[in-house]
Amino acid sequence: MSTIDTGERRRGSDARPVITELIDEGTVQSIAEDAWTALVGEDEVLVPLPGELPADVISSWVDVVGPWTGSVVLTTGRQTAADLTRALLGDASPEILDHEDVADAFGEIANVVGGNVKAALPGPSGLSLPDVGDAPTVRNPADQCRVDVLWRGEPLSISVQGALPALSQH
Amino acid sequence: MNVRALVIDDSRAMRRIVSSILEGLGYEVQQAGHGREGLDVLETGWVPELVCVDWNMPVMDGLQFVSAVRTNPAWRSMTIMMVTSESEHTQIVRALAAGAHEYVIKPFTADAIRDKLALLGLLPQEVAL
Repeated sequence: MSTIDTGERRRGSDARPVITELIDEGTVQSIAEDAWTALVGEDEVLVPLPGELPADVISSWVDVVGPWTGSVVLTTGRQTAADLTRALLGDASPEILDHEDVADAFGEIANVVGGNVKAALPGPSGLSLPDVGDAPTVRNPADQCRVDVLWRGEPLSISVQGALPALSQH
Repeated sequence: MNVRALVIDDSRAMRRIVSSILEGLGYEVQQAGHGREGLDVLETGWVPELVCVDWNMPVMDGLQFVSAVRTNPAWRSMTIMMVTSESEHTQIVRALAAGAHEYVIKPFTADAIRDKLALLGLLPQEVAL
């Protein structure tokens, strides 16, 4: 019996899911709320309202590598990131925060949110150590699930975004 | 008698949170920033009843730490609890197979830690009896 190779199988295997097929905004919001309650404080809430991020922002993120590959990125104003750091460190917070303090605390929040996002995705997947700085570029706007919230009235975004550009359509 | 715990996490903020919970329960706590530093503490002869260890860390990760600890008979009595954001079932199985006794997924509450320690019989007032 002969089989005609139409190329369909190869094209099918090339397909990869975009994040909006795997997780929704409500799940990301719920994961972030749980992280905030446990890490920042029991009374700390994330209000699901968009706000305009200031010009001077900082991001923290972890990379997820697996059937879906991308990053879980938290972005907020530098002052808000410093306030988050003080909330996490509590009494152990130094009078003057340095970049390492903020990178450590803001990065750990990304680690916790990212780890739980990873658990909601098809696996097995690997999780990187957190990084802090300028957010990775959104390579494919269709492969992004973004939640905008307010914490203590200040805007913060949580973006689950693919690392790869869109597949070209031929 | 002091009940001792070693908290190993590369995040200073997370070490503070876990240490604060354990100190509130009556533990004497030491901290380390990664698995290798944790082994350094143990090699001084300070052997705690409990180790809380993260998974993803630079230099030596939590799984490597657990495996290293389990090769030394002198450290066999230590209870190891992984405290990590790695929550895939396969990861949990790997950690338990390597020699961890319990697994706590971040984010956690103080009550969750206390409940796990109670199950393990490791609340300080119980250990001291």
